[in-house]
Amino acid sequence: MYEEKMRFELTVNGKRQVVYAHPSKTLLEVLREELNLTGTKRGCDDSNCGVCTVLLDGKAVKSCTMLIVQAAGHKVTTIEGLETEKGLHPLQQAFIDHFAVQCGFCTPGMILTAKAILDENPDATEDEIREGLHGNLCRCTGYKSIVEAIEAVRDGDYGDYVINWQEV
Amino acid sequence: METLIGKGEKRIDAYDKVTGKGLYASDFDNQFPNMAHIKAKRSPYAHAKILKIDTAEAQALEGVLYILTGQEPGIDWDQYPKAAVLATDRTLWAGQAVALVAAETEELAEKAVELIHVEYEVLPHVLDYYEAIKPEPAAVIDPDYETRDQGFQDRPADRATNRVSPNIVGAFYMNSGDVEEAMAKADVTVEGEFWVGKKTASPLECANAICRYDSDGGITMWSNGAGVHGVIKQGICRILGMKEAYVRVIQPYMGGSFGSRLNPYIEILTALMCLKTKRTVRFTFTRKEVFCSAPSNWPCITKIKLGAKKDGTVIANDYYLCEEIGAALNNTFFSGRLSSSGAAPCYRWAEKGRTSNMRMDTYAVSTNTVPAAEYRGLGCPEAEFGIECLMNRLADELHMSPVEIRLKNIIDNGERNCYGELITSIGLKKCLQAVADEIGVEEEPVQDMGVWKKGRGCAVGGKQNTPLGRSEAEVWYNSDGTIQLFISCDENGMGATTAMTQIVADQFHVPITAVRTTKGDTAITPYDNYSASSRTTYNLGNAVLAACNECIAKLKEEIARHFGLHPSKVEIEGTTAYLKGTYVQEVNIPSLFVPVGMFTQGNWGLQQGTPVKGHGIYCPAPIHQWDKNGLSDRVWNWFQYSAAAVEVAVNEETGEIKVLRVASSADTGNPINPKLVEGQIVGGVHMAIGFSTMEEHLYNENGEIANCNFSDYRLPGILQMPKNEDVHAFINPDALPDGPFGAKGMAESITIPVGPAIAEAVYKAVGVRVTGYPMTAERILALIKEKKAKEAAK
Repeated sequence: MYEEKMRFELTVNGKRQVVYAHPSKTLLEVLREELNLTGTKRGCDDSNCGVCTVLLDGKAVKSCTMLIVQAAGHKVTTIEGLETEKGLHPLQQAFIDHFAVQCGFCTPGMILTAKAILDENPDATEDEIREGLHGNLCRCTGYKSIVEAIEAVRDGDYGDYVINWQEV
Repeated sequence: METLIGKGEKRIDAYDKVTGKGLYASDFDNQFPNMAHIKAKRSPYAHAKILKIDTAEAQALEGVLYILTGQEPGIDWDQYPKAAVLATDRTLWAGQAVALVAAETEELAEKAVELIHVEYEVLPHVLDYYEAIKPEPAAVIDPDYETRDQGFQDRPADRATNRVSPNIVGAFYMNSGDVEEAMAKADVTVEGEFWVGKKTASPLECANAICRYDSDGGITMWSNGAGVHGVIKQGICRILGMKEAYVRVIQPYMGGSFGSRLNPYIEILTALMCLKTKRTVRFTFTRKEVFCSAPSNWPCITKIKLGAKKDGTVIANDYYLCEEIGAALNNTFFSGRLSSSGAAPCYRWAEKGRTSNMRMDTYAVSTNTVPAAEYRGLGCPEAEFGIECLMNRLADELHMSPVEIRLKNIIDNGERNCYGELITSIGLKKCLQAVADEIGVEEEPVQDMGVWKKGRGCAVGGKQNTPLGRSEAEVWYNSDGTIQLFISCDENGMGATTAMTQIVADQFHVPITAVRTTKGDTAITPYDNYSASSRTTYNLGNAVLAACNECIAKLKEEIARHFGLHPSKVEIEGTTAYLKGTYVQEVNIPSLFVPVGMFTQGNWGLQQGTPVKGHGIYCPAPIHQWDKNGLSDRVWNWFQYSAAAVEVAVNEETGEIKVLRVASSADTGNPINPKLVEGQIVGGVHMAIGFSTMEEHLYNENGEIANCNFSDYRLPGILQMPKNEDVHAFINPDALPDGPFGAKGMAESITIPVGPAIAEAVYKAVGVRVTGYPMTAERILALIKEKKAKEAAK
């Protein structure tokens, strides 16, 4: 079982990666087990909780139900890719400042989904943010602080998002 | 420096969590590439006789290391946590393990589980209270109840004697005043029977544990379980007979618990398989297993009668409660006492100054469902739902507002509750007023949403703090002036480690970033029982304060000795000591630590590399044995309170409920960190909206949970929460005299009043009285149809 591995190439956090994995492995399994990127969490295995959310070519996807075959050749961003030499991504800083983190298990997926929302629409309204986050469960915060953090970034509290951070 | 107490200091763990750098137990897998994997063969039947377990084929599979069944010799399953018990001759719930496999890979373990063949003879089962409580039920969960030895966490005094059903496994009676006489004097009485569904706490990280087999035969465990010392290590030592020096338990970041990880089911089994295989092993529950094989909450059925005078004074409460605790063999600590304590904290149940008229008749009953255990509030949301519903009904009957009737009956500081305990901190009236004003509970909403009818409601809740166990803390003042804190509380996400660090920073007058905290490693950090019953701020906070005091006193003495001063003339602020009464007014403390050298060394004094240490212990005083009426002046420790008010819209055509606005207020005592408290309030409200309107276990014909995944068991998401401007959190503290800085816990009380407030708002919106939750759309619609049919018949 799983002994027959195939070669896959993908770009993860800006770095080209070659992985050898059984084609039935999910992107989540490859990220966690082969690339040691454990910031991407595993919660439900059926796309409902959102803790496994990563960005695939800039769009938020649930990596627990995406096979490595489907991700091969694409650009993947995980939570480990957001902090750069410039420092934390403003969404990361805003989540800290607004107490949008409690147990933290949903946080990586939540921040990446928030990034996808703002990258697509830097002026997203509260309703649009809520719609965008409806596939990410949080059991601790009640979401208020999460929405406040995203709105703070949208509103320029951490500099102009479009000029400094938007990736299209 | 200004005090840090009461300040919204940033969380010390937030950076780790927003960057993905913080490791959770499940992230340690990669560090053990050669570890073995555990998988369980589980019963698909709620109740069945095991005729045969054939493990031969699985055993023959290459890479299978060990197969454990309930028949394994030398195991006393009575000592195990209920959810960890492997079936021996009978399966007691669907999802109970019949065998565990350890194999070289996860895939091999799964394959081996498939190759284990079990022959069952299916038996009739009972899945809920109403079936289980019958004098001759279809199934008896524990026929040996009367003669069985005490097991895990059992208490001999709780053994039920008056058993109307053979499934009754515990009982608690309490009688204060004269309920019958008071009821006869009442101008008005209201009564009702209330139920709640069975639910799973569903923290997002599934239960998991890794157990390393150390070279000397000891074990080291990483798990997301709670209570590294008091629950997991003590459990492993007691149940598996390990020596304390040979068990080390480490708790990395935890992906939530809400009480559900206080039960060491996965930890004990993982340690057992580690010892059997002498290998590092990993056991990770699937989401299905978290539903079917890890403890649920315990639902409560309540039958309550309240008697009141015309002016709204409630003078009697006749209270029956039964906890439905699942397939818990033997007597357990779920005997009715914990849940029914929820009937005590808020109200007098008498005229002011008189003895309470309160009668509690409480039981626990077993069913063929997953064994129950802790879930945020410990049965109190379930136990208080009916009381709050009846208080609202009483207000309607007496043409009073739901606020007014409560203000009349809420107990005041300095009074004694129905057990006879002195109340020393209660800010509930202020909490209620704040939320009622915010939502406008006493005003009618404008009906402007078509088929969506609006209504408003409020309720209150109180929860006891169970005074169990010590907390210890250690504080180090290092020779370079850096400060360290060592504690073993759980960090389920509530922010306790931040609050504790804040206390240390406050005492040494340094920024919180100047204190480094190490947590949850039994080989390094001192004893703590667990973080349960909202106790961490109180219990451990007092211990941390004591540790700071000891460390500072020692440091002052050393500095004072250096200058020939009395220690009282020294003040410490971070790395600076301020002196009075000598020629030096200010000194850099690290400069007083002498280097290690043959000319400078000694057995006393400040020396580089050697921290000045303070140790603190705090344990609540023991409780006072109750009398034959169940009364005692010390049963619980203190009470946390909250109030909630909501405006909901109910769709008349579909029965769907939308919470439009919500306000929640907590009496936290003086909060150490109000931002963390606000997070608990809003999060607690959200969790309660979920279990009040959506969440419950549903069963298939085998008695197996049919909705054991997040597609079918719907948890609340962001869209179930009102928009931000309509979510209000207030803190209305009444300082607790024995709390650190007057603080007490609060995280459980928040969830209690949300359900009954929604129930009242639904009544105001569409005129139907719900008697239980979850208030699903289909249930509300059925009530609306029933009401319409009755109206048509008239």
